[in-house]
Amino acid sequence: MKTFLMGQIAGFSIALALAGATLCFAGQGPGYSFGSPAGKSDPCLGCHAVKGKVPATAFVDPQQFAHTTHARIGCPACHDGVSPNHPNSVKTPRAECRECHADIKAEYDRSIHAGKTSCAGCHNPHRVETPKEISGAQINQMCSGCHDNFRMTAKHSEWLPQAELHLRMLPCITCHTASKSYFISMYIVKGHNGDLFGKQEVAGYQDLLKLAPKGKLVSLIDSNGDGFVSLQELRDFNARSRRTSLHLQGMMTPQTVTHKFEILDSRRNCTFCHASGPTAQQESFVALPLQDGTFRRVPVERGAVLGVLYGAPDFYMMGSTKSSRMNLIGAAIICCGLIMPVGHGFLRFLTRKNRK
Amino acid sequence: MSEHKKVYLQPIPVRIWHWVNAFGIITLTVSGAQIRFPETLHILPSYRAAIQVHNVAGLIVAVSFTLWFFYYAMVRNSLDKLYIPDEEDIKHGIFRQLAYYCFFYFLGRPSPFHAMPESKFNPMQKSAYMAVMFLLMPLVSLTGILLMNVTPLRVFILVWGGIKMIDALHFLLACSLVAFLFTHVYLATLGPTPLAYIKPMFTGWEDLPEHEEEAAQTTLPGYRPVRHYPEYKGVQGEHKGG
Repeated sequence: MKTFLMGQIAGFSIALALAGATLCFAGQGPGYSFGSPAGKSDPCLGCHAVKGKVPATAFVDPQQFAHTTHARIGCPACHDGVSPNHPNSVKTPRAECRECHADIKAEYDRSIHAGKTSCAGCHNPHRVETPKEISGAQINQMCSGCHDNFRMTAKHSEWLPQAELHLRMLPCITCHTASKSYFISMYIVKGHNGDLFGKQEVAGYQDLLKLAPKGKLVSLIDSNGDGFVSLQELRDFNARSRRTSLHLQGMMTPQTVTHKFEILDSRRNCTFCHASGPTAQQESFVALPLQDGTFRRVPVERGAVLGVLYGAPDFYMMGSTKSSRMNLIGAAIICCGLIMPVGHGFLRFLTRKNRK
Repeated sequence: MSEHKKVYLQPIPVRIWHWVNAFGIITLTVSGAQIRFPETLHILPSYRAAIQVHNVAGLIVAVSFTLWFFYYAMVRNSLDKLYIPDEEDIKHGIFRQLAYYCFFYFLGRPSPFHAMPESKFNPMQKSAYMAVMFLLMPLVSLTGILLMNVTPLRVFILVWGGIKMIDALHFLLACSLVAFLFTHVYLATLGPTPLAYIKPMFTGWEDLPEHEEEAAQTTLPGYRPVRHYPEYKGVQGEHKGG
């Protein structure tokens, strides 16, 4: 047994050296690759990925972990120097996040969160997902761990009309981090227990798989399977979903996600979001759930959320997602009301002598 | 010289209601326009102010509409008589009034209809007000209430097909009300004098020049007395008397 452990530690050390070397290279910028996660964490996951074999706090979901970038560097990269007699009373060493994510740490330290919580307060390093891999609704789950929904709604209600709606339909980071541009992240919600008008919750992989033709979930909305949702495909999905409990929900999400959490006074001005005009709010994605619990973003044709009625029937931002066609119809109706005053008034003026 | 007969046409509750509605609807139009086109309209100081003003004015108009409905339906018991066109209105009244507005008015002929407390509206007015009061106003108020309470009334919004449907309906109904407003204000100036129909909405009393009633009977080609028209009462009286 001892020989086995020694062998493992030696293996870990080599992996760690390799990982360290890779990290030095990785620190230079995004887009780095750590290679395949295969085999890098197997000795640890042999126990830690089995429920009941380790305490609940030490459990690592193998599927979720496999999806993270951390799986590519393997457990020993962060947990260096695990005691040869592990498990025992010796505390397992942990690397500091800043050792790799120094730039993010520096940014975070300038935010209002600094000193309030560490990285692990929001992120679980064994299941960390990029913003692209989660639906809009899930972004707020990280915040609600500390920020009680009820209290936050009450606090925002002091100045924000329909605060509950805003807090439910917007990621906190849209207002509390700065980003130059935004996109609409759409995701599928379903009525609770399949009830057409039940409480809305994010539809999971299994929920949608049942409804997807040929068991291919993406074909539920991207019917021709080209990895792109056209306006017609979106309309077809919405027309079909009217008979089911499924609805498309949208969230205005920042294009660039930072860790500099702040209170931005510009967001207190409603027109920051509500007066973008028809040129904004053009870009959108549909986040479709994957089997491993993450989401895949499928791009949607530009202008989808501005569609008259069926682009995204249940997503509307006053002042900014209005349809130009609807405005024209409204103008035509108002012009009809002017026929009488203008037309009749003109004839009235010409025939004024008859009424003297 | 015309001998003026006065008729008490608009009781105080109706006048109050009318002006509350008038100011309410104008406020709603202005604030609503800013809410929809914030990038071009800056009438109220901020978007939030526009929303708050719109919400308050909307609630006032909705409550005022409800009070009006109960006042006419239950206190005056005259909602149906005043607002629902009867057979005679549909068969002849609407066409006669239309012919007057489109043709005889320009010839200087008097209106075939005179408002009386028990029949305040001409057949065209009745039809228009019926659409406005029983369709446009309740629907615009209901959609407005839904838009004001998106989270608590989510289920109802989904029943209607989503928030975009509610917004589209609210916007188009509001445009229809604005269209009606232009026509309404213009038609109010078509009395014997431009202010003749507007004055009663302030004072309650409308002047009825006697000679106009007589002239109406004799001058309009194809004119037949219609039930609830003032002159029809005379005909009824003659029949009863004879």
